[in-house]
Amino acid sequence: MSASQPVVTPQTPAIVIEHARKGYGSAAVGRKDAVSDVSITVSRGAIHGLLGPNGAGKTTTLKMLLGLVRPTSGRFEILGRPASAAGTRSKLGFLPEQPYFPTQLQAAEALRLYGQLAGLTKSMIAEQTPLLLEKVGLEGKETQSLSRFSRGMLQRLGLAQALLGSPEVVVLDEPASGLDPVGQRDIRNLMLELRTQGTSILLSSHQLSEIEAVCDEVTILNRGMVAAVGHIDDLLNVEGQASIRARGGNELPAGVRPYVTQTAVSGGVWVLSVAKSDVRGVVDAFDDAGWTLDSVTPKRDSLEDYFTRLLETPEAGGVIQ
Amino acid sequence: MNKVLAIGSAVVADAIRRKVVWVVVVFAALLAFAIPTLPSYGVGVVEGVYKEVVIALMFAAAFVVTLALAATRIPSEVERRTVFNVLSRDVRRWQYLLGTWFGIVVVSGAALVALTAISVAAAAVVYHAALIELFAATFAVWLEMGVISAFAIMMSTRMGSVTSIVGATAFAFIGHSLGSLFAGASGVPRWYVPSLDVFNVIDPVAYGTGYGIGYALGMVGAFLAWSALLMLIATVMFEGRDL
Repeated sequence: MSASQPVVTPQTPAIVIEHARKGYGSAAVGRKDAVSDVSITVSRGAIHGLLGPNGAGKTTTLKMLLGLVRPTSGRFEILGRPASAAGTRSKLGFLPEQPYFPTQLQAAEALRLYGQLAGLTKSMIAEQTPLLLEKVGLEGKETQSLSRFSRGMLQRLGLAQALLGSPEVVVLDEPASGLDPVGQRDIRNLMLELRTQGTSILLSSHQLSEIEAVCDEVTILNRGMVAAVGHIDDLLNVEGQASIRARGGNELPAGVRPYVTQTAVSGGVWVLSVAKSDVRGVVDAFDDAGWTLDSVTPKRDSLEDYFTRLLETPEAGGVIQ
Repeated sequence: MNKVLAIGSAVVADAIRRKVVWVVVVFAALLAFAIPTLPSYGVGVVEGVYKEVVIALMFAAAFVVTLALAATRIPSEVERRTVFNVLSRDVRRWQYLLGTWFGIVVVSGAALVALTAISVAAAAVVYHAALIELFAATFAVWLEMGVISAFAIMMSTRMGSVTSIVGATAFAFIGHSLGSLFAGASGVPRWYVPSLDVFNVIDPVAYGTGYGIGYALGMVGAFLAWSALLMLIATVMFEGRDL
């Protein structure tokens, strides 16, 4: 290794994007930024979600990382090396949104082509093709023409080609797009399996439930800027609030009512929101009334609620954490 | 180099499956067999006329095949976004362009060889003559198609298929006119004027004794110089394009 090459350690982030910017147009006709200032760090072995409404700059950011769009400015690194440097992207797999393939090819031929482009030998491609097709639920489809593939099958094949060569970093743009619920579950399980194997994943998705289910960290973009970033628990836990589930009656005990900030009841189970400082008093009041406590947990928003609320705030372009 | 060859192989496979090459070659072959039915060949020149028409036919057929592939490949790949799966990998844009060009050159070469073989066979049947010198013209037309495909690829890195076809056609026409326009009257030696006329070997092949090894090397030199220059410009143009 030469002195000029960066030292890559296991702690080196899988992906670093710093102050990415992409502007279109010129000063004369009016300049417009698709991405104004986006910074993302994906830790090794983590699944990092990238969220944002349409036009937030998610796909443009990914394309800049992958060399498909020339950035106006910013720093892009994959495994500690500049993303544009020769050899860097050999360790990366990419699933584009709604992947397209030359439809005259068969599934195995497509994987052979992309395997060759990934620098794999013939024997490696021959070995990996059936395994990957099985992994994405396309076993036995090796010789089927892609012109006869459904959209969901093409999506699965897109995932298979992204995983050729066992890349250390995978970028997935809307991986569940076009898949039925079973397919979406399969993709989710596959992402979790990849994380277990140490693969780092940058996942761009509109499906908040998918992000919430698999991601360790999220970055939320809005209008070309980072609106929020952090660990998903940190973002969704409501500061200073706890959630209590209890059973025991049709009306809340009188000793509990003064502490409750929100309440919901379903099937005899009450779910209450209370200030963390009041938890002890509420628990005692339930005990005195003879109720059963199911759980006491930090109050957590759904990602959908958090996302909606965040984008409705006027300062949604600012960094929360 | 493996990546360039992989992309080239994909172009060849795509061309075979799209049947463009077959249709053009079969149509041209039918025409080749029809040439001897044309009346009024003068005594002693009939084979020369046959060869001249065959060379013109080869040029036209190869031109159609080349433009059908070179002017449409990149716009189509960008529009269908199949290019994402290629360029998001560790594949440089110049490798993608070179592979595409390489594949098209192979396809046009194969089409030309097939067409020439059919024409030679037709001549053997009709005139009982082995006109294998036609392969010398095949080589020249093939080299020129390499240059024209490089130009079409260069244009298609930034423009649509139709514009690229029109541009490449104009390039071929002007390319053949340059020598006549600037050489001769101005006293400039023809070889100093960059033109496509160097690939025009109708006279020596149809009515002469062909061309020598020196001339062949000159054509190869012109082919390499034109192609390298155009592919370099294509790379610069494509490098700056957002996909």
